[in-house]
Parts: sequence; C-alpha cells; structure tokens
Amino acid sequence: MILRNSAIGLTMLLVGTAQAAEFKWASTTDPQTMDPHAVNSAPVLGFLNNVYEGLVRRGKDMSVEPALAVSWEPIGDGEGWRFKLREGVTFHDGSSFDAQDVLFSYQRASGEAADTRSWFAPVSEVKVVDDYTVDFMTTTPNPLFPSSIANWMIMDQGWTEANDAVVPDKETGNYATINANGTGAFKVTEREPGLKTVLEPFGGWWGDAEHNITRAEFNPIQNPATAVAALLSGDVDMINPVPIQDVARLQQNGDVNVIQGIEARVIMLGFSHDAETLKYTDDAGKPNPFRDARVRKAVAQAVNVDAILATIMRGNAEPASQLVSPAMSGYSGANADRPAFDVEAAKALLAEAGYADGFSFGLKCPNDRYLNDEAVCQAVVGMLAQIGITAELDAMPVRNYWPELREDNYDMYLLGWSPGTFDAEHPVRFLVATPNEEKKLGSWNFGGFSNARVDELLPMIQSELDQAKRQAMLDEVAAIIQDEQVYVPMYVQPLVWGTRSNVELTQRPDNFFLLRWVTVN
Amino acid sequence: MFAYIVRRMFQSVIVLLVVGLVAFSMFRFVGDPIDNMLGQERTQADIDRLRTELGLDQPFVVQYAKFLQGAVQGNFGVSYRQGRPVSTILIERAPATLELAFVSGFLAITLGIALGVFTAIRRQGIAANVIMTVSLIGVSLPTFLIGILLIYIFSVELDLLPSFGRGETVMIGSWSTGFLTASGLKALILPAITLGLYQMTLIMRLVRSEMLEVLRADYVRFARARGLSERVINFRHALKNTLVPVITITGLQLGSIIAFAIITETVFQWPGVGLLFINAIQFVDIPVMAAYLMLISVMFVTINLIVDLLYYAIDPRLRVDARAT
Repeated sequence: MILRNSAIGLTMLLVGTAQAAEFKWASTTDPQTMDPHAVNSAPVLGFLNNVYEGLVRRGKDMSVEPALAVSWEPIGDGEGWRFKLREGVTFHDGSSFDAQDVLFSYQRASGEAADTRSWFAPVSEVKVVDDYTVDFMTTTPNPLFPSSIANWMIMDQGWTEANDAVVPDKETGNYATINANGTGAFKVTEREPGLKTVLEPFGGWWGDAEHNITRAEFNPIQNPATAVAALLSGDVDMINPVPIQDVARLQQNGDVNVIQGIEARVIMLGFSHDAETLKYTDDAGKPNPFRDARVRKAVAQAVNVDAILATIMRGNAEPASQLVSPAMSGYSGANADRPAFDVEAAKALLAEAGYADGFSFGLKCPNDRYLNDEAVCQAVVGMLAQIGITAELDAMPVRNYWPELREDNYDMYLLGWSPGTFDAEHPVRFLVATPNEEKKLGSWNFGGFSNARVDELLPMIQSELDQAKRQAMLDEVAAIIQDEQVYVPMYVQPLVWGTRSNVELTQRPDNFFLLRWVTVN
Repeated sequence: MFAYIVRRMFQSVIVLLVVGLVAFSMFRFVGDPIDNMLGQERTQADIDRLRTELGLDQPFVVQYAKFLQGAVQGNFGVSYRQGRPVSTILIERAPATLELAFVSGFLAITLGIALGVFTAIRRQGIAANVIMTVSLIGVSLPTFLIGILLIYIFSVELDLLPSFGRGETVMIGSWSTGFLTASGLKALILPAITLGLYQMTLIMRLVRSEMLEVLRADYVRFARARGLSERVINFRHALKNTLVPVITITGLQLGSIIAFAIITETVFQWPGVGLLFINAIQFVDIPVMAAYLMLISVMFVTINLIVDLLYYAIDPRLRVDARAT
C-alpha cells in the first residue's frame, strides 16, 4: 500500500513538473457536503458539477447540451421525455454507467429526504426502456423538463448501496457526505471539510479535456482581505468573489486579472401586500399604504438605481426591469423599460394615493447575503426620504433575516432571486403566485401578493410546448407584475472573480466555476 | 488542600452548567439554521419537518437537557453543517489551535519576561525606551489589523511567508502537526506573532513594573549591601518575586490565547476550533457552538484551578494561612 502510494506520488510529481499546471482556488464558502442530492445550494452544486454529471449539462453560454444523455425527445404529445444515454461511460471507481443508475438516482434525488425533490414534482413515473434508454413521464406536458434537471447528478447504484448511502442524509451525514464517485472530469482525492478539497483529472472521462490541470486544490477563505492577499501573493490562482471595493486596485495590478460578469440574481424591494396595517415606527397600526399600487410605483420612481450602481456597486452591475435578467430564457423584451427616476412624479403619485404628507414604515434588510446589501438599503432610505416617506432600516445577518420575513415582520424588505431553471417562469412560481402550500406555489411570496390572472397563466406557461405562445403568456405576466409594481427590481448582481494573469477560465452567470475550462499558461 | 480542591471542583461544575444554560437560551437569537440547510425551493412542510427532526421546536431547556444527556456520554451530537459528529470535528481541529496557542504562548512568555526584565534593569537606555514605545503598538492595535498588516508585508510585498492556512501537516496518530514540515513551520510564524503580540506586550509591561517595584524593596538593597553580584540580585531575588502576579495573568492569558484565537484564525484561515466556531455561528450550527462553548468554559475553569494551586506552591503565605485555619 505504501509502495503503491509513493509510486503514484512519483508519477504525479513527474507529470506536475512536465506541465506545471497545479491549480489552487479559493471561495468564501466550503461546499457543506459532497452529496449531490442532499443540499440544493449554489456552492454545493457548483462544486459538484466538476465531479458528478447529469443527463444534460449547461455549456459556457448556459445553453443545455448533452452530457450523460446523448439525445432526448418528447414522447407523444408531451406525455414525457425519452433520454438516450451515452454508452461506455464509467464512474470514478471503474463501474459502468447505465439506465439503472439513472433510475436509482431519480429515486434518490426525488425522495423525501432529498433537497432536490422539487425538480421532479412534474414527473409521474420513470421507466427503464433498455440499458441505454430511459423515459420520464410527466403529469402534464413539460417543455422545460430537460433544462430543469441540468444540476441533477447521477450516482452509481452499486457504490451508493455498498456504502450504505441510499438515502441522502443532511442531518447526520453518511458515506456520500464526504466521499464522491461521479462520472465527471475530476475526481475527489482528498476531502477535509472546511479546510481543503483536492481534485485530480479522471483518466477515464468520456469527454475531451480542454484544461491542462494535473491537480486542483480548493480552500475556503472566509476573510475577503485574506483572499485578496492570497491571490496577490500567488498562494492561490483564483478567488471568488473579489470584494467590490478592491476591484479598481486589482485591475491596476499586472499580476492579476479581474473577471466581471452579470450573475443571474436580481435584487429587488418587496412589499407587504396582505397586511392591513403598518407594523413599524410611529405609524404602526395605521392602514398599510403599500396595498396601493400607486404607492409602490412611487417607491419605484423614487429609487435612483443608476446612482446606487455608480456609487455603491462602483459601476459593476446592470439595472433590472423584471424579476429575471435579460440573459434568462423567457425574459420579456416587451417590458424591458424600468420606471424612470422622477422625484416629482413619485410625489404626485403619493399625493394621488392620499399620502401627500408622507408616512413612515420599517424596512428590513440582510447585511451579509448580497453584495453591499446594507449599503444599498441605506441608499434606498435616503432616496425615499426625498419623496417624504421615512423608512426605518433594520439590517441583520441572513440567519436572522429569513425567519423575520417568514413571520411577516416587515413593511418593506430587500430580496435577491436567482432563477434555478434560468427561466422567467421560476420567479413567477416562487415570488408572485398566490401562496399555496399544497401545490408548492408562492413559497417565497412573503408579502402575499395575489392575482387571479397570474395564477391562471402559470400552469399554462408550465405546460405550453409552443415557444411563441409561451412567450406571449410570460409577456402578459411580466406586464401585470410591472403594472401592479409587485416588486421593485433594482439591478442584476455582478459577478467578480479574480485570477492570476496566467490563468484562463470561463465565468458562467450561475456563478459555477468549472475546472474543465481552466488553462494555466 | 484536598478539601479545597474538592470545593473548587464543585464550584467549577456549577459554573459549567450555568454557562451551558445561558448559551442554550441565547442560540435562538443567533438565528435559524433551517434556511441554511434547505435550498431555496423548500416548502413550509420541509421547514416544519426538519425543525421537528432537529428538536428545534422544543423549549431551550429541553434542548439543553438533551445536549447534557449526550455530553456526559461523550456524544456532542452531529454538526448541522458538516453532517459529522461534533467530537470528530473538534478532535480534527484542536491540534491546529493548540499548536498555534502553544507557540504564541511560548513566544509571549519568554520574550515578554526577557524584555520586561531588560527594560526594568536598563530603564534609562535608548533600547529599552524604543522597546517600550514599540510595545504600545502591540497593546493598542486590534489583532485583525496586525494580521492583515503582517500578511501584506510578508506575503504580498516580500513574498516570504504564506498568506493563509497551515501548510503541509503530518499525522501522528490522530494529531496533525505542522511542526515537522518546512511549510508548516513557515505558516506558523505570522499567526503566532499576531496572536502572541498582545500577550507579550502585556507580560512585558507587567514584569517591568513589578520588577521596578521589587528593585526598590529593602531586601534588594540589603542584597546589594551584602555585595551580591547584580546578576544574582536581578535574577535570583528580584525576578522570582515578580512572578506571582505574572503567573496569574499568564494563566488567564493562556486561556484567552486559545479562546480568542478566533480572530487570528479567521484572518489567516487557520483551520482551528476558533474558525470552526465562527463558521458555526454563521451557519447557526448549534451542536458545534454548544460543544465549543462548553469546551472553552471547561478550559477556563481548569486553568483557574491550576493557577490557584500554583499560588499555593509559590506563595508560602497562603500555605501558612491554610494551616492556621
């Protein structure tokens, strides 16, 4: 055993000196598990996309492309989808991949204990047709199903069963929490939770390697200043994110590059729609002005998004007009304009609604969830003061924030939303549809907004196969959301990564970092 | 003596129980772990199910009782964040913190006493005055600033030392040590200085003022009159008598070196229990927070006990008093 290890060590050393492409990167959060079905969060799924693969995957431009499935087609009139699987694929431990692994992974990822369960809500049955063909039957036609499972990763049935990890366990953990056995381009060779994770290229990968990495090491570094120092000193080759305030300084440094892009996350203001009265400040107990769309519109016109972006975000973000960014599918081009910044118009709207003398209310805001979130809220408070309404800001860590929102302890709040499916239907389902526990709708619609037409359109959007008809319905929903000013979308959050200048990589809008697109020169 | 120890032990247990109770009553204000454990597509039913599974729907006294029940059997529960037993994680992380605390404590005590004595004996000298002035920096600058400053100078500008982490470690049994590799030793330097600087200046200033006092005492003057060498006077008579208060402070400071390594560990991404605790707070990882707080209070209580016993050994007056009563 010792002999074998040192032999491997020696070959690694030889390869390492030949190509010198060892790569180290750092991010603020460590993926909390190696189990692809236990936690549905960006740090986990982003990391595991290097190790595991799904039937389909997303390319550099977020388009859906074949991975473990080579092709897929609708069955009949939308009764489901048939996937043809790739032959000759092996897992990291050498066992081969076939339809049984897909069925097994479906059962595992859609079970009660899986956090990825909601992806499979439309699925009624999964049938193995032959070793390399699988049918996913859906209750209603589901045009988006293939792209909605891009992060559903396939595990080996034999390995998972042998290691007693058939059910994902995020409360007490199991073998799959620390170990991984995927089909992806990289395999996990060392895992110390919270300290470091080492990946090495998988020799038996079915794809053609575009990278030149021989060994990759991930270290979580929580303190942003330490991460920047580690990048500058060359201790790591890439960091994500770069603090906004350090961008300009790093750009002037010849040894490092700053890579900027737009994330899928839209930052918006939300209102209490169903509360009868205000809950905070001296006006607590008075009728809730935000029930009036004119007041919500006045807020939208009073917030100078361009000024927020120029100062707080230092020019690193884009204004948003809708709940999704233009890069998402289903974005409504017909509703691309956002309300103009106009203090007088906003005051006029307030007067029309009967609040010429203004009012005061409570604004809740997280202070560690989104980039510069608290500063943005402070700016909003100042801007609202110009139209005579006084916001009392209460900023708190995100671990206290969600419970407050769930208990309706706010008059207005800040929210960021990144659509998991990269489609405009996603925020409608979670943020706008009337909350309905049974149908799993509106689970993040804290304000309790309700519109019969939106509720009517949503299931039709979900099952419409004709792209043009679908877009027409999405346009209608986007128009309703704008007319009613359900939320005030402000901007799309920027992505800022830093690399050493000899590193080339691809930054995807979902903030996933994929090693297979990294070249170290 | 024996009765004294037993009495102190009994008091210690009560202190521990109270610390635990206060800690558990505070956890609800730290936040809610549920949102960190479930993705954005969770439903209210998922939230309620997980809360029941974790026992978070019960009053904190019940949660505390459950924790104690497990703790006395050596079971501190399972980390919400890592999904592994807390005791395993603590054992993994403890060597990093203990090695760092040991090195910085050692630096603080040896340098602190040496410089303290030096500045007391040569109190008019230029070197002593320079040391005193520089030591003000150590007392007044906050730890994280010193850490970032050191990283900037020694890693970014001079490129001599690593900016974060612990370097390569070697496993000796279940103990991972950074003492045996070059990169491990290099990685220790900056965090150890950052963590020990405050304690060092504190000990130095304490030794200096005690020493100055003692040097004015009658028995030192008599010793000089007897014609003893300066060396013997300074080190055998004066230094020994300055050590009683120094031991008290040092003992307590040793505890705080371990407990407050949190900031240094965060700045240097040092993989010790302090960093683990910070992570636990951010994630509202209640089992880890509870175990850490209990461990730290056990440590402080033990250190206090040892310090009290050391008094006994060093200060003969206490022994006389004890015999008299």
